[in-house]
Amino acid sequence: MIYLKLFLEFFHIGLFSFGGGYATLPFLYHIADVQKWYTTKQLSDMIAVSSITPGPVGVNVATFAGFTTAGVTGAFVATASVILPSLIIIIIISKLLEQFRHNKYVQSVIYTLKPAGCGLLAAVGVDMFINNINLFGMVLLVGLFIASITEKRDPLFYLGVSALVGLIAGFFNLTG
Amino acid sequence: MEKTLYQIFKTFFKVGTLLLGGGYVILPLLQSELVDKKNWINDDELCEYYALSQSVPGIIAANTAIFVGYKLRRTAGAFAATLGIVMPAFISIIIVARLLEEIIKLKFIQSIFWGVGIGVLILIFLAVKEMWRKSIVDKFTCWIFFITFILSACFKAPPAALIILAIFIGIWLPFQKKIEYGDKEE
Repeated sequence: MIYLKLFLEFFHIGLFSFGGGYATLPFLYHIADVQKWYTTKQLSDMIAVSSITPGPVGVNVATFAGFTTAGVTGAFVATASVILPSLIIIIIISKLLEQFRHNKYVQSVIYTLKPAGCGLLAAVGVDMFINNINLFGMVLLVGLFIASITEKRDPLFYLGVSALVGLIAGFFNLTG
Repeated sequence: MEKTLYQIFKTFFKVGTLLLGGGYVILPLLQSELVDKKNWINDDELCEYYALSQSVPGIIAANTAIFVGYKLRRTAGAFAATLGIVMPAFISIIIVARLLEEIIKLKFIQSIFWGVGIGVLILIFLAVKEMWRKSIVDKFTCWIFFITFILSACFKAPPAALIILAIFIGIWLPFQKKIEYGDKEE
């Protein structure tokens, strides 16, 4: 039963991803490895599309992965399942907000969870880097990197510039 | 402005539509919509929800919406806000995904995606940098980072297993002697 499997996979993403939309990527890569619902190549296209469509990237990419796996119903199941843990947890937390914040176990778990989430995302970054980069890509990456350290810019700046450079590079067969 | 469920939905739908290229822009967007225009919550509350949203699992933009929705109209408000923030993403992907298989064959689209893929790498780098700044506060957290990184990058350990491991370490720590959360206050 594909919808039940989708529900379980995406519910577990929603429950275990710490650190925002991109933190869901390690889980989506893991699904590509284990479930074979989509390839890692398809996933990187989905991530590219999700970055330039409206909405939080994490939601976009979940919808997309669900759609690729099992059509519109799959998209709906994946999106609802990835959000559901947040909804449940936050409603409970909002009710207990005061006690929650100063509990030493809660503080300690937050203290250990954040670096773990950060490490997972760094691993995805390295993986994507190894799989997607070529010489010209490296040039583009270094350019964007320099742009990012000189000034704080809007994410759309990087996506816009890189899309444009990609388009031009395509004409000269530099993207292969 | 009245805080009806429809108003809550509409507001977050608008925010969801304007959210491009990652959730980082949600804070300024919510500031202008909820604090300045509608006066539903104040700046302090918004910042607190945003900080809390990063401490619970899930997508930060959606988490912030759920916190604010709950504050405005309890559980029903949380659902209305969630629906609002998710809907634009859902609709746009359903439309684009249908076209993707066709347009992905076009060479110039592939080139654009290739470029955007590099742009995403930078966004991931910036996200890691920001998370690092907030989470690696001492040697211990630095160890957690590198162990998670190596187990994930080199050994393909399931992410959920690593998160559960981190949770256990977090619960176990207070049983050890007194710990400091970070070498010093920032």
